[in-house]
Amino acid sequence: MAMRELVSGGAACAVPGSSSSSNPLAALANAFTGSSSKTQERLKEVPVATPTGPEQFFPQPDEHLRALPGSELDGAFLPPNAQGSAFMRTFRSAYQNDFSDAWDEVQPGPLPPVAADMRVGPVPQSPPTLEGPPQRMLSGLLHSFVGSSHGGIPFRPAQLPMLGLSEGDKRCIRDRSTIMARHFFADKSEDFINAQVNALLHSLDIDSDVRGRGPLPGRFREMEDYWNESQGMMRPGPHVADGWANEFNQLRVNHGNPESWAHSFEQQHGANGWASEFEQEHSQLMSTDRMRGTNVPNVAAMEQTRMLAHTLAQNNDPKFQNSKFLQFVSKMSRGELIFDDNQVKPASGDWASEFQQQYNAGPSWADEYVQHDGPDQWASEFATEREQHRSVDDQWVNEFSKLNVNDWADEFGQQVAEGAFGESTGDDWANAYEEYFNEQVAMKQRSDSSRGVYVFSDMNPYVGHPNPLKEGQELFRKGLLSEAILALEAEVLKNPNNSEGWRLLGIAHAENDDDQQAIAAMMKAEEADPTNLEVLLALGVSHTNELEQAAALRYLYGWLHHHPKYKALTSLETPESFYHADVARLYNDAAEMSPEDADVHIVLGVLYNLSREYDRAIASFQTALKLKPHDYSLWNKLGATQANSVQSADAILAYQRALDLKPNYVRAWANMGISYANQGMYEDSIRYYVRALAMNPKADNAWQYLRISLSSASRQDMLEACDSRNLDVLQKEFPL
Amino acid sequence: MPVFKTPFNGYSVKFSPFYENRLAVATAQNFGILGNGRVHVLSLPPSPGAPVAEIAAYDTADAVYDIAWSESHDSILVAAVADGSVKVYDSNLPPASNPLRSLHEHSREVHSVDYNPTRRDSFLTASWDDSVKLWTVDRPASIRTFKEHAYCVYAAAWNPRHADVFASASGDCTVRVWDVREPGSTMIIPAHDFEVLYTDWNKYDDCILATASVDKTIRVWDVRSFRVPVTVLNGHSYAVRKVKFSPHRGSLMVSCSYDMAVCLWDYMVEDALIGRYDHHTEFAVGVDMSVLVEGLLASTGWDELVYVWQHGTDPRAP
Repeated sequence: MAMRELVSGGAACAVPGSSSSSNPLAALANAFTGSSSKTQERLKEVPVATPTGPEQFFPQPDEHLRALPGSELDGAFLPPNAQGSAFMRTFRSAYQNDFSDAWDEVQPGPLPPVAADMRVGPVPQSPPTLEGPPQRMLSGLLHSFVGSSHGGIPFRPAQLPMLGLSEGDKRCIRDRSTIMARHFFADKSEDFINAQVNALLHSLDIDSDVRGRGPLPGRFREMEDYWNESQGMMRPGPHVADGWANEFNQLRVNHGNPESWAHSFEQQHGANGWASEFEQEHSQLMSTDRMRGTNVPNVAAMEQTRMLAHTLAQNNDPKFQNSKFLQFVSKMSRGELIFDDNQVKPASGDWASEFQQQYNAGPSWADEYVQHDGPDQWASEFATEREQHRSVDDQWVNEFSKLNVNDWADEFGQQVAEGAFGESTGDDWANAYEEYFNEQVAMKQRSDSSRGVYVFSDMNPYVGHPNPLKEGQELFRKGLLSEAILALEAEVLKNPNNSEGWRLLGIAHAENDDDQQAIAAMMKAEEADPTNLEVLLALGVSHTNELEQAAALRYLYGWLHHHPKYKALTSLETPESFYHADVARLYNDAAEMSPEDADVHIVLGVLYNLSREYDRAIASFQTALKLKPHDYSLWNKLGATQANSVQSADAILAYQRALDLKPNYVRAWANMGISYANQGMYEDSIRYYVRALAMNPKADNAWQYLRISLSSASRQDMLEACDSRNLDVLQKEFPL
Repeated sequence: MPVFKTPFNGYSVKFSPFYENRLAVATAQNFGILGNGRVHVLSLPPSPGAPVAEIAAYDTADAVYDIAWSESHDSILVAAVADGSVKVYDSNLPPASNPLRSLHEHSREVHSVDYNPTRRDSFLTASWDDSVKLWTVDRPASIRTFKEHAYCVYAAAWNPRHADVFASASGDCTVRVWDVREPGSTMIIPAHDFEVLYTDWNKYDDCILATASVDKTIRVWDVRSFRVPVTVLNGHSYAVRKVKFSPHRGSLMVSCSYDMAVCLWDYMVEDALIGRYDHHTEFAVGVDMSVLVEGLLASTGWDELVYVWQHGTDPRAP
């Protein structure tokens, strides 16, 4: 029965869970409302290839995939029949009165048999492109963030792993959240809204390199347009104000006035109606202009910012108190996140940063300060704000009192009066802002460059050990990863060019769920020996995890290139850039050449994860497992891939196999927790995270996941133990 | 009354103009900020206790902001997708054949779609690319683009009596009235001081339209004298997302808002707010009134729930 099929078909089509797994930010909103769907994946799922180096990775959202839906029928369903194209030509050349004809022509009598017609040439269905890396992490973070506002527990921003947001994703987040924020915060100022969005973007590490249309100040832009229109009275054009009435008349006549309502409108208002409308707009415009006259282009006043928080705080409607979305946003609004001004907004940003530099006050202060219409109004407004604000934001009040505001206000007033900021205040502000901005950029660069720098432990008891490498290998074999790491650090301190020492160190870190260190160590290993196959493979996987596709492909290609057996497959000269399809093809060739080489299948699995062909990835890993059934990291990879393809239940089985083989495999324990969390079994996930942390308390990510699961499981009572990293309490509370 | 849980956040709900028990829901993951979308076609149970049946569901790669039923074919739906595409589905066809079409012309999010109820052969889409486009189901490209608004166009609505006339609501704070036979808009109504999120025509008086705005008000306008609104309806405490006129009573309207409430209004009477439903626990962003069953309402919101209920009853009553 067709209906039945449809129902089931529909369900199948829905790809259970894939929906949620799909997006970066999948979580974002979930976090807002706490509605995180169970199936969401999170970042840390896929471990790495290489015999020993488990790494997580998540596939990069492909722009081209995003473009897929719909491309399926571009130009497909309507053969360019003569009538159609003729119509389009006619239409395009049509103007003025021809619009009418064109429109009438559109419907030549009765409707064509649409449904039948549309079925001509079945449109190939493209699978729903559910792009984006698994974003459980983000979801959880935001969820706990939101949750923290319930219990009044201070939210501690966690450093998110790289989320792999594509430029398109970022643009979406930026534009949509801007536009939507504009709706939520109806009567708040532009600056307030921008601040909200910036806080969000900042926490997601979306910065100014995102290209896009960005938010447009609707109100003012509209007025500007009116202004332009009015200025353009002399300019010929169909929509200029004074042309409008005539045109309307003319058209009406030409059309034989089919619509009586239009006629009546014209009678009542005609040009006069328009004129008065214009007048009104003009006066609006004047006020805008006046406001523009100050150095702060954004008219909005900052008190509105705080007013929002205020309004929300004052709104006793329990529904609002419970709206996670609003809580989330209002939380942001209170400056608990840094409003690092990503958008270069001329004056406002300048004020903010300048202020920040000078007085080193809290960010909320700075933003408030920004918003003022002008220095002369500042003092009085400040006073009122202070009144209004006192009850609202404790933090702010504290800062405020510290600053000894009256003096400050006077001082500021004086400075302004004396022209301390120069004649053209704007320039100075701008310069100051630029400085500030550059500083920020520099800081960011510093933090970027710190990636890949290996950080040694203090107080290493193995320094001075006669054979730390051997000791490290032994400890590693026993599964004492943290100890092994110390021993191996001692080794590479002693012999910085020992590639094997670095490699093992990297693997130990990876298994211990510390990717930054793992990558840093692997890069050292590569430095020491650029042709070490295991290192190349590990780096390929690590970079895959870090979404650096180009680098990942380069290393994976390098692996083939340096492999004695597969060297022949690669060209003599290393290409300058790599394409996923090319590399995958090479590996497929390699797999054909020697189907019994598990490593090749492992890399293929990694490559397919990269392109998010999870079914193929799973198949590859399964093939590899037939060849290497005792490779625990391989089981972990399989599990992570299954989790990524929304088979969390299967994933748990795979992780279990990994743990059977290597009970001290911290990452597999953590991954297990993730899979449980993905299925909504938060209590279970907590137990696994706690177990993982008991083995490696330095696994920062696991702490974050734990915190998230605690929030999700409504175990706020244990958050303190989590924040203080009190494993005793946690282990007692959540025995496995 | 029937409740349906959607996996994503609800964005829009529309009753079928052909079957009284059928409705379509547009949903988006992550509040439509980033993620997938899904269109659900639902069938209401014959008896109130039974669960709502899902006839079909279509996944999209981006949020679905709005959905409209074809007025000429009982199974055809048009979806407004955030990736700028407009997708046409036929719920009689197997999932593999859907979408029937995917029309890519808008350069930004498509926020609403409205099917022409009189000509029944065409529909309008309003987009954040500041334009409104006119399409017919049998053509691969839009027939016309109406681009005068200076900011996002959030909605476009056909006049129920004049097949060529429609109104568009924009973030530029204006509503424009257009006649598709004319080159430009015929009227610009500076309707609110804040963004206008929705507009709809009165089904019994073709000169009356209502606007919903970020300024929390609903305003009713007479296009014959649009300098002042006929009335301003206060009652929502946050931006009003949608407002729709009743197909059954000329002065009856339903609205939904970011204050999570669904409100019923009679704009002709003094105490215009005649009903308020607080069943949603997150923003209520989709609402509809059944053409075929008087008083039957449907709403959806970011709490991922679709409610269908008879006016006067509790939407949450089992």
